[in-house]
Amino acid sequence: MKKIITIAAVLALAPTFASAESFQEAFESNRAMYGKNHTFEWNGKNFSTNHEEEVEAAVAATKENALDLIAKAKAKNKEAAKLGFEWKLTGGILKDAQKAADAGEYRKALDLAAQAKYHSRMGIQQHAYAQSNWHLSVPQ
Amino acid sequence: MKIIKKLALGLGVAAAAQMTQAADSGFDLATVNPEADRVALQNYFESRFPQSEISDYVNGIYAVDASSREQWEELEEFPPYEFAVEEGETLFNTPFANGKGYADCFENGGVGIRQNYPYWNKEAGTVKTLEMEINECREANGEKPLKWAKGDIAKISAYMAWTSRDKPINIEIPSDDPRAKAAYLDGKKFFYAKRGQLNLSCANCHVQGANIRIRADLPSPQLGHTSHFPVFRSKWGELGTLHRRYKGCHKDSRSKPLSHQVEVYRNLEFFQSYMNNGLVVNGPGARK
Repeated sequence: MKKIITIAAVLALAPTFASAESFQEAFESNRAMYGKNHTFEWNGKNFSTNHEEEVEAAVAATKENALDLIAKAKAKNKEAAKLGFEWKLTGGILKDAQKAADAGEYRKALDLAAQAKYHSRMGIQQHAYAQSNWHLSVPQ
Repeated sequence: MKIIKKLALGLGVAAAAQMTQAADSGFDLATVNPEADRVALQNYFESRFPQSEISDYVNGIYAVDASSREQWEELEEFPPYEFAVEEGETLFNTPFANGKGYADCFENGGVGIRQNYPYWNKEAGTVKTLEMEINECREANGEKPLKWAKGDIAKISAYMAWTSRDKPINIEIPSDDPRAKAAYLDGKKFFYAKRGQLNLSCANCHVQGANIRIRADLPSPQLGHTSHFPVFRSKWGELGTLHRRYKGCHKDSRSKPLSHQVEVYRNLEFFQSYMNNGLVVNGPGARK
């Protein structure tokens, strides 16, 4: 009898666990619905919808901070390029970020560098996804 | 009667085995089977566009979209690549400074050989394309290499394709060199991997998305790609090489395109051309 109850409980609860939203899914749906600077709850804790690069850019708009983030974005883009997954616009955004920094527009430079770094991180993530999923659209 | 039954059963099992292999393998070096891939691709397009003949896929989108075909047939009445082929012939037959010519570099004097390109070169351990060997020929004879995308290289390649028209494409993947199969797999993987800001693979447009509008354009089916290159595109207003098109396509997914004749593009050409085995060379072609 116990066994039957256990099996029934597992079967009843399975869909709940199976449909539990992952952090990534929760982040992406909240980001899509509310944009940046929104707080959402996941598994009893609060999280921000900001991308990690937006957090990095939310520092004092100084020359040092701007150049530091540009350097990080360039390094990330190099990583993406090495994998053959560099995005088309990233190089141009990096150039614009450098121009803004040279013109003393550090806030603009930080935001552009954050965007370029995000593009690069997505390219790297795309490469990782492609490694294990490229075969999904091969005709069978 | 028993023999017939046994034969039929045997053929059925063999066909099922091939289908099974295409269905659940082919994604690593141990299981990749180019022939099963080619059959699976043909079957895919046969069921997507049952009204189209497989042999017609060398005509790209015009094999599956009737109204585009009408316009293209009118365009082909005075083919826009005709003068380029003539210029290509002149260039091909103009001797280098040392007195030698392109004909000295290629098998059969460079005539009627397009269908064998690209091929696996065991000595070099890499895929060689026709354009690559045109430039290698020049360099070996003390001439400067031509630029890859358009101009003279496209014209010479167009003339060579012209002399090979209607010859069945015959790409071989030698079984005695596993690097050849690895190159094929690399090209296959490139074709099916999503990339760029738009997160698109070549297959998204040219397999699943074939003949489905992207804004005002209808992407061509993958089957038959490469057969008609170099191509005169109305958009370009001139002839261009296959790798020029690869770069454009790559860019369309909002990726930073790679360089002409880079290894992975050559592997992509190797994979794509193998898919066309049995179809005929019809280059140069005319496209929108």
